Amino acid sequence: MKNPWTILPFPCASSASGRRTLRKDLLSALGASGSPVIVDLSACRTLNHEDIDLLLECVAQVSGRDTQVLFVAGSRVNRVLLEVTRISSLVPVFDSVNEALAYPQVAVKHDAENRLAS
Amino acid sequence: MELGAVVVVPAEEDFAAIHGSETQTMASSGNSRPLYSSRVPILGNDVLRSWMERVRKLGVPSVWLTSSSSDETVAGSVLAGFARQGVERLLVIKLKSYAELDLADLLRFHCEKRNPVTEAEDARGQLGVSLSDHLALRMAGEKHELPGAADDHWRNAYEFSGYAKRILSARERQELVRDGLTGACAIRPLGTEIREQVWIGEGVKLADSVKVIGPSYIGARTIVHAGATIGPFASVEPDCVVDCGTTVERSTVLPYTYLAPGLLIRRELVDGGYLENMGWGAVADLQPAGLGSRIHRIKERRQAFSKTATDVVSRANRDAARGFARPPTASQPWVQVQL
Repeated sequence: MKNPWTILPFPCASSASGRRTLRKDLLSALGASGSPVIVDLSACRTLNHEDIDLLLECVAQVSGRDTQVLFVAGSRVNRVLLEVTRISSLVPVFDSVNEALAYPQVAVKHDAENRLAS
Repeated sequence: MELGAVVVVPAEEDFAAIHGSETQTMASSGNSRPLYSSRVPILGNDVLRSWMERVRKLGVPSVWLTSSSSDETVAGSVLAGFARQGVERLLVIKLKSYAELDLADLLRFHCEKRNPVTEAEDARGQLGVSLSDHLALRMAGEKHELPGAADDHWRNAYEFSGYAKRILSARERQELVRDGLTGACAIRPLGTEIREQVWIGEGVKLADSVKVIGPSYIGARTIVHAGATIGPFASVEPDCVVDCGTTVERSTVLPYTYLAPGLLIRRELVDGGYLENMGWGAVADLQPAGLGSRIHRIKERRQAFSKTATDVVSRANRDAARGFARPPTASQPWVQVQL
């Protein structure tokens, strides 16, 4: 059974070319996905201005569409930065992937898709 | 009875800048770490000055200032030096708290109890204020420090139930700001109250669309750009820039901080490029994301610092210091301030 959600790693701490590729993958996945997308920032020690720009692009990518996006901050520092930049007022932010998966809107969609599959 | 007084400023302070020395610049203490310094103003006020005013009211003519090692102790040899100079009782204030302490009452208590050392405490522990008598000072010279906590028979606790906050804690510092803004403690914002519970320092520039929600304080020369919101319970200390649309709420922004546009600063303490969230205690570096930074205006900064916070220190008698008990290391400078 296909997972009803998509977990995408956030492209941080990679080379410029690797970052470009991951950025492209992330945005196209957000554009294509109909299921909830969890963007995982756990590998990012901190966020720079490119990261903030990309997170805002992610928000823009799904706005007006049916796709639910959630961010996993991965650390308190990242969470603080997401709050300071007001990104957390646009997108639900969680400390861990497990916490994000327990988010009611993800869980409801998950249950519904499980029912359909069975 | 000769009463001496020492104020110990925590080690990371830029002690040289206090009295205008060229040996260190304020920039050296710039962006390396969050600076919850006891010398950074609170609602524009200098806590050192408030302590020195309390000492002056005791009738003590001068106070010795020093920076300290991280454990905030004064070397025993220095304390013994005070005893040799004829000091019979020594008041030591470690500049880590703001406390509305009646020093005369502390002195009376110390004299009545006749313990060698009296330590002021509140419900959360020591306040960093102690009185030591001649015997304790001489003992300190032999043991290289004042009798320790283990020497209970040497020490007596002076229980203080009045207003006190540990100013090196971001959370307690913010509580002090809140209480100062609402009149719950003696500290008052340094500025003009332009409307109920809104204070503005000299030379503040506010764009027309700025919203200031009281109780709040905006320190001297701070610039707040269009669409920003300050308050409630916010203190933006002197010489800051808050850019367009940023909100500062239940937070303190320390001097010479730039905040980028569109931010939400809520329950946070910001110092230059660093921000501490008071809920989680997490410290974030704002600089890589271009969200905040230190404003470097060293010359102006030094002038403002000496004018507003340390004019008492500028009267320091360095010649007297040369003839006094020398500190064990050059990193522990001493300055005598006439009160």
